[in-house]
Amino acid sequence: MKQDTAAKTAIIASTLFFGLALTMGLLTALKFVVPTVGDIEYLSMPRVRMLHTNINLFGWLLQANIGLLFWILPRILHTKLFSEKLGVATGILYNIAVIGGLVSIVLGRVKNVEYGEIPAPFDYMIAICWVMFAINVFGTVATRKVKYLYVTVWYTLGAVIWTTFVYITGNMFSQMPVVTGINQANLIWFYVHNAVGLIFTPLGVAIAYYLIPKQLDTPIYSHKLSMIGFWVISFVYVWTGAHHMINGPVSYWLQTVAIIFSFSLIIPVMAVITNFFGTFATAPRGTRMKGPIPKLLMMGTVYYILTCLQGPFQAIRSVNEITSKTDWVVGHAHMALFGAFSFYAMAGVYYVAPKLAGRKLYSEKLGDLHFWLMTLASIPFFAVLWIGGVIQGFAWLNPENTFVDTLAALKHAHWMRFSTGGVIYIAYFVFLYNVLQTFFGKYADEDETETAVAG
Amino acid sequence: MKIDVEKSLLWTSVAAFILFAIGAVMTTIVPPIVDKTLWTTDRQIHEYTEQEMRGRAIYRSEGCVYCHTQQVRHLASDQRRYGWRLVEAPPSEAWEYVNDKDHFLGTKRTGPDLARVGGKYSSEWHWAHFKDPRNMGEKFPDRKGIYEKVSIMPSFAYLSDQEIKDLTAYIQTLGRNVNWRVDENGNPLNDYEQ
Repeated sequence: MKQDTAAKTAIIASTLFFGLALTMGLLTALKFVVPTVGDIEYLSMPRVRMLHTNINLFGWLLQANIGLLFWILPRILHTKLFSEKLGVATGILYNIAVIGGLVSIVLGRVKNVEYGEIPAPFDYMIAICWVMFAINVFGTVATRKVKYLYVTVWYTLGAVIWTTFVYITGNMFSQMPVVTGINQANLIWFYVHNAVGLIFTPLGVAIAYYLIPKQLDTPIYSHKLSMIGFWVISFVYVWTGAHHMINGPVSYWLQTVAIIFSFSLIIPVMAVITNFFGTFATAPRGTRMKGPIPKLLMMGTVYYILTCLQGPFQAIRSVNEITSKTDWVVGHAHMALFGAFSFYAMAGVYYVAPKLAGRKLYSEKLGDLHFWLMTLASIPFFAVLWIGGVIQGFAWLNPENTFVDTLAALKHAHWMRFSTGGVIYIAYFVFLYNVLQTFFGKYADEDETETAVAG
Repeated sequence: MKIDVEKSLLWTSVAAFILFAIGAVMTTIVPPIVDKTLWTTDRQIHEYTEQEMRGRAIYRSEGCVYCHTQQVRHLASDQRRYGWRLVEAPPSEAWEYVNDKDHFLGTKRTGPDLARVGGKYSSEWHWAHFKDPRNMGEKFPDRKGIYEKVSIMPSFAYLSDQEIKDLTAYIQTLGRNVNWRVDENGNPLNDYEQ
């Protein structure tokens, strides 16, 4: 089978899913301001929300990361992908599973697991795909032609191992008949938080660790910081699940454990961030921000630092009292998964797509336009969620405000979220057009292919 | 033998797994062993009827949990806001949930918390509210005005009449394990099935 078919399949499918996820997001935002829009069973607000999160997590981000790693791993390890056929099979089965899961959600057949609503048998199919991906990762590393394992490889190995347990705990163990009530809630939040922390964080960081030095043509700033970041996160992140129940009906000591470890996350995050910014700072000045790729990487890193500074402070009991259960949390989640890791993934697609197509990116100008539209829209998009969340949190403290009063206070914030979300949506189509043109389009000047870097 | 982790697939994997496994075991397996209130209780607890179980299934598949939490937190503001006629709601405790096959604690309050909503409104009120949260007809005229403009709850008019009854039956059980609402003499009201 042709080399890199697996990467190509996953990357193209994921970019298409991204658009579907944003459509669902925009529709959810619209329903917050005009609740009667699309008032039918299959598009009721909670279902659209479930579609939005599941398409983003599984259709877009996880699949994009898998596709990018199918391409990156062989390059770092100076070898071929362990099995191209297995990779393509993973991609096909994975997309069947995701689409089947989405249809189930539309029909109201869901599991009671946030971020894991996709019901059996499709969640088991996703788990099987993950094992197939793991075989490919381990196989590629085992057949490598270099001695040392680069940081990207550590994070990928970590993510593959951790995710297996996290996913099975959240989607299968939590559904066992003996697991009820708060015990189940604890398992599910173990999954919900570690889905972000031990799946998307290590995969996103792995990709950034490859792309930033490659794109800037500069060695990584500090090897020691890479090691601190990786080993600390692999110990610290997993303890934090119970911070979703602070002040809630769960053992006080378990909350405290989660708070302490949530706060400790500042250590690995700062190590990684310092490393990324350090690499940017030592790169050649003239070219380090040229084109959309370094810009997306830089902005993703900025969002990563912001979201990871919010996290530890949100986990403190007194701060949590105001921010928890409000729009603030929605802003926080969006900045992690959209701001940081989707920006990294989009940078990855811009980097890898031309190599897969064997020619230059269709248009750097369109790439820049996409970057600026998305960035300038996402800043007010996140900010308005935090501001709305704080307004809501303080309004709830006063018992004289009825619940509808506190909701009425957010009307403008919700309009703002919808309109800035709309700009992000438009920017996505610029991105999609650019990527599809790179793969399938006709270039005005076909001579460019000669100067292209072959994959 | 000198182990060079950075050269070894095996050692990197094993070390990453062990570091992760410590935290995973401590936060998933240990809590229910140390704290039995997470899954069992000696107190009398409401057993769901068949109809209420059907209602729970609808609550799950309609995704009510994405806008309504079911936990009165140990916070004065929560207890006051979700109280009833100047009686503060008791905070939710772990033992109240042991019969819940699916937990609905929730992460987001787009609408109010429902942990203690059982008995606060009549089943007739819920019926009208599910049909159209913004205009509940002549019987509940107070829902006009600010509710009409502000409430963003979707209408669940597409549910069948039986489904709305099942769902309502379930919602009327919420908070029942504590039976906290009392009349002016301090006697429990126990008026859930109106």
